[in-house]
Amino acid sequence: MPVARHTSRGAFWLAVTIAVLAFAIAGCGSSNDDSTSSSSASTPAQSTSTPAAAAPTDAPDPQPAVEPRSGGSGTPIKIAIMSECKGAFGSFDNQNMAGAIAALSQFAGAKPKNPNKPRDGFTGGAIGDHPLKLVGVGCGDDTSDTAIKEVRRLMEQLDADVMIGPLSGDESIAVANYAKQHPDKTFVDGSAGAQDTTLKVQAPNFFRFNGDGAQWNAGLGDIAYNKLGWKKAAVVADDYSFAWTSAAGFIAEFCAAGGQVTKRVFPPLNTTDYSSYAQQMPTDVDGTFVAVGGAGLIPFLKAYEQAKGPIEAKKFIGNLFWGTPGQFEQLGPRVSGAYIGGAGTAGDLDTPAAQDYATNIIGKWFKVIPPGKDAASAAPSTFTYGYYLNAWGLVKGLEAVKGDIKDQSKLQAALAKVELPAPYGTVKLDENRQAIFTVYDQQLYMKDGKLAVKTVTSIPDVDQTFGGTFSGSTPAPGRNFPGCEKKSLPWLGKAAPVKVVGG
Amino acid sequence: MNSSARSRLSADRIAGGIFVVLAVFAPLIFTEYWVATLLTQMLFLGVVAASLIFLSAYGGMVSLAQVSLYGVAGFALGNLTTNGNTKGLNLGWAEAPAIVVALLIAVLVAFVFGALASRSYGIYFLMITLVFSVIANLFFGQVTSVSGFGGISGIPIPDFLSRTAHPDRLYFVTLAVALLVYALLRYVARTPFGLTLQGIRDDPVRMSSLGYNVTLHRMLAFAFAGFIAAVGGILFVWWNAQIAPSTIGLNATIDVLVIAVIGGLYRLEGAWLGALVFVLINNYAQDVDLVSERFHTLIGIVFLVIVLVSPNGLIGLWERITAGPRRELPMDITQERGSAEPTPAG
Repeated sequence: MPVARHTSRGAFWLAVTIAVLAFAIAGCGSSNDDSTSSSSASTPAQSTSTPAAAAPTDAPDPQPAVEPRSGGSGTPIKIAIMSECKGAFGSFDNQNMAGAIAALSQFAGAKPKNPNKPRDGFTGGAIGDHPLKLVGVGCGDDTSDTAIKEVRRLMEQLDADVMIGPLSGDESIAVANYAKQHPDKTFVDGSAGAQDTTLKVQAPNFFRFNGDGAQWNAGLGDIAYNKLGWKKAAVVADDYSFAWTSAAGFIAEFCAAGGQVTKRVFPPLNTTDYSSYAQQMPTDVDGTFVAVGGAGLIPFLKAYEQAKGPIEAKKFIGNLFWGTPGQFEQLGPRVSGAYIGGAGTAGDLDTPAAQDYATNIIGKWFKVIPPGKDAASAAPSTFTYGYYLNAWGLVKGLEAVKGDIKDQSKLQAALAKVELPAPYGTVKLDENRQAIFTVYDQQLYMKDGKLAVKTVTSIPDVDQTFGGTFSGSTPAPGRNFPGCEKKSLPWLGKAAPVKVVGG
Repeated sequence: MNSSARSRLSADRIAGGIFVVLAVFAPLIFTEYWVATLLTQMLFLGVVAASLIFLSAYGGMVSLAQVSLYGVAGFALGNLTTNGNTKGLNLGWAEAPAIVVALLIAVLVAFVFGALASRSYGIYFLMITLVFSVIANLFFGQVTSVSGFGGISGIPIPDFLSRTAHPDRLYFVTLAVALLVYALLRYVARTPFGLTLQGIRDDPVRMSSLGYNVTLHRMLAFAFAGFIAAVGGILFVWWNAQIAPSTIGLNATIDVLVIAVIGGLYRLEGAWLGALVFVLINNYAQDVDLVSERFHTLIGIVFLVIVLVSPNGLIGLWERITAGPRRELPMDITQERGSAEPTPAG
């Protein structure tokens, strides 16, 4: 009977297929780690030079640490941190945690559990009478689905009052939407830089003390058009919210200055083989803006070299990933001379506050930030700095209500008014609870045979709208938005040189 | 009907009754997190798994496309109801017509999928439906006009179901829908269509020679199961307020298959039983240090143990316990068992 053969064979193959698929998934190393205490992974500290610094235009003073404290009998403030331990940005997990915990230690009297492993969390800390309690650490994988699953767990199962995070664009859009549904909880961003998170979603209880990807690239279009003389440019960016936003910042400004963007290529996030995308890159342009990030950047550059020959640094501009500690070192001499965007970060800024932040704050609370970097050198990382700013903003908001969060609307009202005398310049919030801050543009160069980052210009008070290019009613940055049009931008041609350590 | 069969039937009824009563009173017994998150998730995952079990038990078709169909409905609803502030088409429709159209789109897609797959059997059917699932995932990941990598967020849910209105309402709606789906699937299995389907499952050649259009029946069954999965997709979107390509990725596809197999691929009740086990492990495994990073390994081990101990899943285990030691099954049960081909193991 043919049918009987069908069914019994089918059952066998079904079992085999499921087993193979299940093992394949298990083998992907998926993890849903939330543990705040796990085995210690000690990584040898590599000593690199610590960026020192000292005092341009907007230069707040260094911020002293408060005394260690553990609070009194007040209701504990339950804090959750949404970090990232999988996906394209999984390697920045400890940088996130270091930033958040350093701020809680510096300004709320907490103490890291393990100075060599930020993910282990913190103990102590209090606002007024109310002790801080870390109820959980979320583990994102750059997808919005996982983010929501983790946020539910942190806010509903573990019942956190406030949350710091997440790391990446689409996650933050999902979290801001979640925040809207839960007005009795308060959220501050981690380091996510999608524009929609604040400009579109506008959740009244979601605050972002870091910039969005477009803000971070303010000044780059100007450099490309006026300094490097690019007239036509190509753009390659990951195909998701943050990279669209990042590219939007460059495109809006480059076109405003008079340039033309002739080709836009969008490889999906988590692509491993970039060869087909590298092939699509045009050669009849003056330069290329690269907003491929995380684990994809180096594979993309290698694929580009394979397809189009050696990289000429002056024909490339990168976004923050080209200068993120822990990653840019691997780019190698091929990109020396290229201009890059930061994230409102400038590790070599010659101001007391910037120097103090690296050595006396991040470098004080942590010795090592895995994987394998001495802590102070990771201070100017987008991720460390983003989580640091947001956790600090949260502390300031909590202080304003003396730690009493029975009515979180009071905390939210206080947070909206917080202004941070931050290491790289003052940060304040606009009406959508989005940071307005100083942006720095940087350049890669060779120092003692190694690639290093030098800050070249600063632009104060960069806001999210780019002089009206972006607003709540314009389309979200995407594959086709913004278009390319010449117009006036508030800061075009106003970038000021900055004083950096070592000249 | 012999006495052991009768005792098993009544045990079934008692267990089912307890399950329903527990489910109805769950908000009084469990915490809000349990009800609004875990149990609601269990119910709609159960609905999706039930669509798979229906196909498998009554049609002999193990489909990996159910998650993609649930995604099609979810993405359709998201595109239709959102209003300007997210990715996708942002059509801003009212909820009611959007639900109808979303279900229609999903059924239509299911019908096309079914038309392509219904001529193949066994492992070939499985692989074709896996391809559908991958296509749906890539489609929504790449076509940014309807979704893109980040998916659609901030999908509105009917006001009276929102968490701010009342934390338990969505749970009760999901429970009601799950019970309706269960009843509908049982009813359809007893209609002439359902009986024909079971005939086709047992012997397509004979059914064909009796004059039945085998392919058409399989297509219709696939579209019908697609409708059930789509209902699960609507519930998912209400629960999650967003949907992304990763929602319907390979992981989710396998998860639903694992749920169905853990529960038992030949009886509908297994869907919700499997979903309960899966949701609980999924949620609580992370809190255990040793397994936190190895959730899929753990669920894999549970899967293996269940399949080895009881090839018919937890429902099979339950039947063995309630039916006592004898092996032979009464006629009416055999009919109900769907793909009750003699199982070599166990």
